[in-house]
Amino acid sequence: MLTLMEPALWTEKYRPKTLGEIIDQEEIVSRLQEFVKRAAMPHCLFAGPPGTGKTTAALCLAHDLFGVRFQDVFMELNASDERGIDVVRTTVKEFARMASLSSVPFKILVLDEADNMTSDAQSALRRTMEKYTDTCRFVLCCNYSGRIIEPIQSRCALFRFTPLPDEKIVENLHRIAKNEGLKFTETGLKSIVEVAEGDLRKSINTLQAASSMSKGITEESVYQVVGRAKPTDVHEMLNHALKGDFIKAREELRHLLVRYGLSGSEIVRQIHSEIFRLAIPEKKRIDLVEAVGEIDFRLVQGGDEEVQLSALLAKLASEAYPGRKT
Amino acid sequence: MTVEPWTVKYRPGTSRDVAGNKTAIEKLREWIDSWSEGRPTKRAALLYGPAGVGKTTVSEALAQERGWDLVEINASDKRSGEILSKIAGLASTQSTLFSKGRLILLDEVDGVNLREDHGAITTILQIIKDTQYPLVLTANDPWDPKIRPLREACLQIELKRLGVRDGLPLLKSILSKEGVKTTDDALRFIIDKDRGDIRSILNDIQLLSGRNRTLTMDDVNLLSGRDRTESVFEVLRVIFNSRTVAAARRALSISDLDQEMLFQWIFENAPYQIPKPDELERAISALADADMYFARIRKTQSWHLLSYALDLMTAGVAVAKQTPTSGWVPMKFPQRISSMSRTRMSRDLRKRVGVAIGQKSHVSARRAQQLYLPLIRFAYEHSPEKFEQIAVWLEAKDELNEMLSAELK
Repeated sequence: MLTLMEPALWTEKYRPKTLGEIIDQEEIVSRLQEFVKRAAMPHCLFAGPPGTGKTTAALCLAHDLFGVRFQDVFMELNASDERGIDVVRTTVKEFARMASLSSVPFKILVLDEADNMTSDAQSALRRTMEKYTDTCRFVLCCNYSGRIIEPIQSRCALFRFTPLPDEKIVENLHRIAKNEGLKFTETGLKSIVEVAEGDLRKSINTLQAASSMSKGITEESVYQVVGRAKPTDVHEMLNHALKGDFIKAREELRHLLVRYGLSGSEIVRQIHSEIFRLAIPEKKRIDLVEAVGEIDFRLVQGGDEEVQLSALLAKLASEAYPGRKT
Repeated sequence: MTVEPWTVKYRPGTSRDVAGNKTAIEKLREWIDSWSEGRPTKRAALLYGPAGVGKTTVSEALAQERGWDLVEINASDKRSGEILSKIAGLASTQSTLFSKGRLILLDEVDGVNLREDHGAITTILQIIKDTQYPLVLTANDPWDPKIRPLREACLQIELKRLGVRDGLPLLKSILSKEGVKTTDDALRFIIDKDRGDIRSILNDIQLLSGRNRTLTMDDVNLLSGRDRTESVFEVLRVIFNSRTVAAARRALSISDLDQEMLFQWIFENAPYQIPKPDELERAISALADADMYFARIRKTQSWHLLSYALDLMTAGVAVAKQTPTSGWVPMKFPQRISSMSRTRMSRDLRKRVGVAIGQKSHVSARRAQQLYLPLIRFAYEHSPEKFEQIAVWLEAKDELNEMLSAELK
């Protein structure tokens, strides 16, 4: 599909086209450029937190290898949308088995969010990877390499992407802000960097959201963007629980999840930092840290956000209960 | 925040207000009135019919409208011959204060336990023989061999299930008093589903209309399952009142709600049904554990794990609750299910929006929603032209407009 419009989302507009444009991750970039020079590469596993350039690196690699028109020899699948063995059996296989017609003797298939594939689908993928090694290279992107089955890991060159340093993020924000002709203050940009925590995409999204306010990029507008879920709401939820009112606390939780669209892990993170501000005995803080950690783990395992967080609230409410047996 | 159950609020004041069974009630009334001309040949009436058709209610109403005392012994009382003759026997022969009339009601006689309620049937026969006051027995199953000796001695009156013909006007008048808008098809459906059991019907309509003061097929469909064997209400009641693991697990056998749906019902109601915080903590923790099994099942399709999830969410909750609730606490409709159905359309919409964003931003539809919707929402609220730009580029302008305008309402 060809769109002549320039991308309206800045994350797309400013996405690097070539490996050379990639910000930070120097070591990874130089290794990938080596592949381009030799026109040869192994299967790759790109692992790292969101917004650190995994997909971008894969796209740039394909671009540098195949040139501008790389559509025929390049395919990007998102494992979360199209997971399951069926996709591996049909789409992936179809693509992988046809030999490349370009000057580079292989095709590239990028599987995004590969750690969301079931282990069965991963096993099926592993056989496909082996069978079509001559014609196709796989690039698997994931947040946690540990969630990729051993046999696939051992067939891939592993690249670990790390959160971007603050100064690189601020540099990039400057560049975009100038280019877009934005009104901004340094403290405004600095507060974006703070919330982004090394996630470049998040920093750009926050910048774009804040830019839709007439006052421009200030500390205040940034706070308004990220402050949709104000820390006070999590605070309030915890206070209801600590007063023993589970029902109110759960209501507040639903608010955060539904109205503010916060993810469970974001709430967990906020609770974690709130723990040290709550008026509770020191020993309780550590108990809570453990409980919060357990829930974080459960969410990663696919637990339901509302149910799991409710368990924590019920625990707090019960602690508050004076008639409690100890 | 106590809400009166409609089964209590709309209990008929007189026997003429009872819906349906006109002939049967008339027969009973005539028999009771015949006592004023001396003891009739049949000194007891056996009212029989399925649960919830109004056997007890009719008897109570008849006594009340005559200003009579009602002496009632029901299944929850112990009924050995000795106890029966003490209470019912005395009541049936001694005269009342101010020589008021008296009606003696022996509820659920087919529930008599031959071993524990030793000598009960013989005693009842004796009471029938001696009684100076009308004696009403009730039973679900009149053909139970245990009570065969009683059948002969009684005037037999059958009460039938509430049909649509009598049910519709009754339910409509109740709902209009409650200010709930309803449709015939929804009421027909409920009457049919609860097989004419008025108690279940009233519980269900109270529950279902509590959400948004309407009772239409949309609300009814949330109950799911055309041939559910028991109302959700009943299933929840079993779970929250069972003391043993076995009893709580039995709730599953009477429910054919989808398991995850049932989970939502239990999760929603737990804090209301389990007021003690430490017990609630254990209950919610059992539910959270059950949730993890559901997650594993979804992820690995290991359906053999289901039984652990089910045990935890029923028995786990039941044994966590040790203090019985005092009074009647109404069941709540799960917010998750109601918001799911209310926003079923908007969820489809969200998904389409997610796919549109995902296609342009190299992330999955789900991640796309998380990553980009906050930004787009913000633009929508603060800068219409910037929003427009993004929406057009995403080729999802109509969808985004529809979704965000609905959200802001």
